[in-house]
Amino acid sequence: MTNNYLLFRLGDRLFGISMEGALEILPWRKSRMVPLAYSYIEGLLDYRGTIYPVFQLALLLGLSRPGPIGFTAPDPMQPLKDRSIVLLREGDRRFGITVDSVVKMARLEHPDDQTSDIKGIQPHLILGRSFDEDQEIILLRFERLFHAG
Amino acid sequence: MTLEEESFAIPITSLLEIAVPRAIQRDAKLSEIFEGKIDYRGKLIPVVNLKKILKLPGAVGGSMIVTKCGKGVVALLVDSAKELLETREAPVPLPPGVINSSLGYYAGVLRNRDELVLLLNEDGLLP
Repeated sequence: MTNNYLLFRLGDRLFGISMEGALEILPWRKSRMVPLAYSYIEGLLDYRGTIYPVFQLALLLGLSRPGPIGFTAPDPMQPLKDRSIVLLREGDRRFGITVDSVVKMARLEHPDDQTSDIKGIQPHLILGRSFDEDQEIILLRFERLFHAG
Repeated sequence: MTLEEESFAIPITSLLEIAVPRAIQRDAKLSEIFEGKIDYRGKLIPVVNLKKILKLPGAVGGSMIVTKCGKGVVALLVDSAKELLETREAPVPLPPGVINSSLGYYAGVLRNRDELVLLLNEDGLLP
């Protein structure tokens, strides 16, 4: 069985989420900060009449990124040239996730390798592993992202 | 009102006065969110550093908003009292998953031109 996935990068890793819930891809923009929000919340985004919470996906997944010396926490306010916000819908909930760059859409086989044991990533968010042109793709359980916190 | 260049609001029905803070009587026994007390129309009322409540960085604000809340009359210190926002739109509830729902700091979100304004729940600000 195949499915359409949106592929994107976070750090040096390639991820995929089902296209089923993807609404739109926007160039990254500053969200409205909410004091005392959960640590993975970047802020609120008002887009076409809907207020979206924007999640820092790297923090949601539990990722840290390589910095100049060892490992450092990501700096969400540091603009990356290709950083994007992917707007998603799960049921009646709409939200955005920040990604370093959107790579492409791809039609992939449902992952045979349904391991959730990938170092540094919250296992309950992993659907499995797939490959595209010999590159490993970590497929995420899109429907669990909203409840990940 | 602004705090660290972000906009916040309180309902106009709770607003009593906008003033410049002066003659604050320090009281070491108060918790760190309080800057002290002031005499407001013959009564001592607490002066609250709103940045401390919301865990925002920066120096204590230079404007004071005297407001009624569930705990009585309090003076909130903010960076500036910016404008009166008149809107026919009801506040949009904060989307779920943003903040611990047991924290009652916000009553919702308002739109003001191209900006989102966080509407404070004046009854939920003080411990």
